[in-house]
Amino acid sequence: MPIRPGREERFVPEGLLLFRDNILTKGNIFGASSKAGWAKGLQIPQHGEVLFFAGCGYQFLGEAEATLSVVRALDKRGLAWERTLGLTSFLNKRGINVGEFYGRLAHRFRPHSAPLRSAVEVLKGMDIDFGYLAEEEPCCAAPLYYAGFQEEFAAQSAKTQALLKEKGITRIIGMVPSCTYALRELFPRFLTGWQVEVSHFVEVVWEAIKKGKKFRLPHEVTVTYHDPCVLSRYLGLTEEPRQILRSIEGVTFAEVERNKEEWSTCCGGGGGFEVIFPEISHIMAANRVRELLETSASIIVTSCPGCLIQLREGVKKLKARGIKVMDMAQLVRTAMSEG
Amino acid sequence: MSKFKAYKKRLKEAARDPKISVALKRAIESYRKNVEEALKRFPHTLKLAEEVRAIKEQSIPRMEELVGQACEAIQKNKGKAFLARTPAEALEIIDGIVGTGKLIVKGKSLTGEEIDLREHLEGRGNEVYETDLGEYIIQLLGIKPMHLTAPSIHVPKEDVAHLLSRVTGKKVPPDIAIEVATVRGILRDKFIRADIGMSGANVVAADTGTLFQIENEGNIRLSTSAPPVYIALVGMEKVVPTIEDAFKVAEVTWRFAGYTVPSYVNLVSGPSKTGDIEKVITYGAHGPKEMYVIFLDAGRSRLAQDTVFREALFCLRCGGCFYECPLFAVTAGHFGDKYFGGIGAIWTAFVTGDLADAAPLTYSCLSCGRCKVRCPVEIDAPQMCLELRKRIAEGS
Repeated sequence: MPIRPGREERFVPEGLLLFRDNILTKGNIFGASSKAGWAKGLQIPQHGEVLFFAGCGYQFLGEAEATLSVVRALDKRGLAWERTLGLTSFLNKRGINVGEFYGRLAHRFRPHSAPLRSAVEVLKGMDIDFGYLAEEEPCCAAPLYYAGFQEEFAAQSAKTQALLKEKGITRIIGMVPSCTYALRELFPRFLTGWQVEVSHFVEVVWEAIKKGKKFRLPHEVTVTYHDPCVLSRYLGLTEEPRQILRSIEGVTFAEVERNKEEWSTCCGGGGGFEVIFPEISHIMAANRVRELLETSASIIVTSCPGCLIQLREGVKKLKARGIKVMDMAQLVRTAMSEG
Repeated sequence: MSKFKAYKKRLKEAARDPKISVALKRAIESYRKNVEEALKRFPHTLKLAEEVRAIKEQSIPRMEELVGQACEAIQKNKGKAFLARTPAEALEIIDGIVGTGKLIVKGKSLTGEEIDLREHLEGRGNEVYETDLGEYIIQLLGIKPMHLTAPSIHVPKEDVAHLLSRVTGKKVPPDIAIEVATVRGILRDKFIRADIGMSGANVVAADTGTLFQIENEGNIRLSTSAPPVYIALVGMEKVVPTIEDAFKVAEVTWRFAGYTVPSYVNLVSGPSKTGDIEKVITYGAHGPKEMYVIFLDAGRSRLAQDTVFREALFCLRCGGCFYECPLFAVTAGHFGDKYFGGIGAIWTAFVTGDLADAAPLTYSCLSCGRCKVRCPVEIDAPQMCLELRKRIAEGS
């Protein structure tokens, strides 16, 4: 899409401009040419009325983690990491895919996107029929909205609307809180005739538990929960994740003092902050982990790829031992009776 | 982009400074505890805060008219009132009253900070004393305040002792009680000798022309009553229709500022007067003989017309949001310009600067939304920051 000249783009941070360019040219925040690698072997149909919306954050979890850790290392040494973003954008424009390079790097450490694979298995285990659009999955374009490019966001969301209509999709199960928020709250604000029902994964799981689905962990474990800001304050989903945790046999739920939509503390990665102020964002991640550690839990569960990365980085920064950060989907998957 | 880069560098340095994060951690814990207890003791506060929001919703679109009413009321009370459209106009009016070579005692005022009032007066050959303890420390250090209600929040007692030893030429130990007593000693004489007292106001009643000032130290009492001339500088947005409204605004402000019950609330409506001898009203009894109130516009009326951002003028300046901002917790007032935090981004864009000045601040907001939960009048600063980003990105 052509970009209007005369914009005051020089005031927009470079990291957010890169996200924008990637979304507009490649349909994902990382500018990668493939997004569905994680789903290999899962045999998810690419059609169906109910759509599993994986989202950039989870599909590129490894890439994001690797990139952010490089950027943080540069920022901490006072090096101009923005230039590496500029370089990324330059190379991307010339068909050299840096996102994929980071991807390959990341996959060495984390071969699969465990949260997504877990989520798919959990949903299948609850007998929910759904499809995944794989390479055709549109980007929710929320980063455009957060960067200030609301016109572009509106245009992208109209494209998404048309695509989903063509595919006959009536319901979406979202994984990333900010995608879910965009599809559920922002789309109706920017589009006319948007009638797709949007749920988040935790709502779907809680519904199944209410209908009798049982989960049990092989060992007793103390779990605390970190509320992602978008899930709690923007979508109001604070009880569902807690109910899920309380209903899993073997879980002792330990509530953190700063919690839910009122007082939970941001992980330090919101609104694009982490790509504007990488080092500060890291400090804030450690601050949140410190609060969560006070619960004496051995597992921190959350439900957002951004929080997941931030909290893991925070744990590393504090050199905290005996604590694991996990996505809700991973914990629930571990607690499925089929093993 | 250079402004942004310089800001980023400052912000990063602040985030690395353990003095800031340690001081803020203590301050945040004590603030949260205080407010929680205060709300338990005075549970009507939350209902009152809703009323205050309604008062602000009604007052801000009528700001121009209400300032007019307030000016009229102040004149009737034998004070003099002015409306300054720009900081330069405000300073010109103040210069006309003050002149040069005066001794001035000042209460802490964000509006004064906004127009660099102290620096201006000093530049014109006046001797100016900040009388709020925190602000006095800031003045001595020659740095900028880091919090609305606690400007020297990041300065530990050891640094204060060092500073006061330098000022008095005597060794002051790092004992907070002794430090406070030392400053009392230094400033006592200034209050008595001062030619002019100055302050801001937390809220102003249009019907009676009454200025409300909330404080604990007693320095505003002395600044506004001991010298023969008193000058107040007040943002236009502070005016509400009635004195009853003003009481509500004041109570909500102090409670969310973390003062359960403040030691003092000053109400000033006019110069000091007496009719005790033959019922002849004579001005300048024990308090000031002259009172001047300058209302400052400086972009506020433009902001009041903007339906997207108008809400920023509802801000009571209680400072509660800062204690909830995870970025403020590690950087204090470095996340800000003249005004801090997410709300500060809006004020910077409309009042103290332009979009270029506001860009670094608005892109610093995490949009986590906790400030809005704390805000007594539920200002949606994160949403306004996103709308500001829109204006920046679209260059309008």
